[in-house]
Amino acid sequence: MRCGAGIEARQVNELFINIDPIQAGGRLTADAMKAVIAYGDGYSVCDNCRKPNRLDHISKPPIAEFHRDVAGWLNMDAVRTVPGARRGFQAVANTYVKKGDPVLLTSLSHYTEFLAIEGTGGVVREIPQDANHTITADATATKIEEVRREFGRVPVLAFIDHVDYQYGNMHDVKAIAKVAHQYDIPVLYNGAYTVGILPVDGKDLGVDFVVGSGHKSMAAPAPSGVLAATNERAGEVFRTTAIEGDVTKRKFGIKEPEMMGCTLMGATLVGMMASFPHVKERVKHFERELQNNRMVLEALLTVSGTKILSEYPRNHTLTRVDTVASFDTVAESHKKRGFYFSSALEEKGIVGVIPGATKVWKFNTYGSTPHQASYLADAFVTIAKENDLSLTP
Amino acid sequence: MTFQALYTLTDLRVILRETAPHHALDETRRIQAQRLLENLERQVVSLKQEMLK
Repeated sequence: MRCGAGIEARQVNELFINIDPIQAGGRLTADAMKAVIAYGDGYSVCDNCRKPNRLDHISKPPIAEFHRDVAGWLNMDAVRTVPGARRGFQAVANTYVKKGDPVLLTSLSHYTEFLAIEGTGGVVREIPQDANHTITADATATKIEEVRREFGRVPVLAFIDHVDYQYGNMHDVKAIAKVAHQYDIPVLYNGAYTVGILPVDGKDLGVDFVVGSGHKSMAAPAPSGVLAATNERAGEVFRTTAIEGDVTKRKFGIKEPEMMGCTLMGATLVGMMASFPHVKERVKHFERELQNNRMVLEALLTVSGTKILSEYPRNHTLTRVDTVASFDTVAESHKKRGFYFSSALEEKGIVGVIPGATKVWKFNTYGSTPHQASYLADAFVTIAKENDLSLTP
Repeated sequence: MTFQALYTLTDLRVILRETAPHHALDETRRIQAQRLLENLERQVVSLKQEMLK
């Protein structure tokens, strides 16, 4: 079935259990799907845009109210919607980083954080992870001192991921932010894997900015996200335009340069808004998601040789595993080589593991029902049995 | 009326997602699907009446 010339209708989530690590939290709610149907046209949210002509001031549909609600929900003071978390990183980097300025990232930072700094001409310095693949406050303090020795000044900004994309590990942002603030370094909290997944309280964490990803974790269409700021920082990153045309003398009201005026002007925004009540509710029940994840991991660990590379017990459903001594041993002699594993999963109605991966791979059980998690757990064990791998009771 | 039918189909789509891969419906979901399909039939009848009158 096609939805346009050469475009197959996508039915991945209708036909399979999808454990793709980056897709789990972005699956749309029914309300978001309905909103996308109604608001698919280009400038669909602009029918009732009135002075002062800015997206976050529109009251019908209730975009202004949504912005206030998201700010309150994150316990921050001001929010803008952005086309993906990366555009939030970029807005903050553009505001604070000048050419040659040192900026603190971590050894587990997402590539878009690097690119945001690169675009400004800033210089990245990474806080190293410890043996447990976590970023600590102590390591942060050490790195800041190293930067001070190298540059003669401290970093101008720090980006810290609460849960990283590589291991899905949870890092002590609160303690890290405390250290950074002792050096007057503003802190951006990267909540790409947390905002919309579990409760986030920006003021409690003591951060200056909170960035969330709509399409990764807020059940919203791509590209979408949020950038929240404290009052102290909002006037800087959300400053309004001051430019004027020399011939026309035109000015541009309260448009914000870092947002390039208005940001999400149609289905992306309304999709995120439609999911928001469900998202607010689901973060209160993250423990259920961890239970499902636990069920799957316990099954995987019965396959002898399997290791969990992420912190364990888990604080997040995105998990990295090492199956070099289990599923990968089959790949050596299997006619499909390493592809046997994803192939066997697909035959059982499961997708999302990178085809060919049998050594180290990631998956995410977020959003699965208990029945689906149980089915997934059984599927891993069944594949092990089918390939004569030993199981521990 | 157009949206009502599309939205009913969307609710059915979500049931498919929640029951993937085998779509074995438990009693609760079976009742829910039955109700949605009956609504859809009524909505299609109304659409026929409105658009083809």
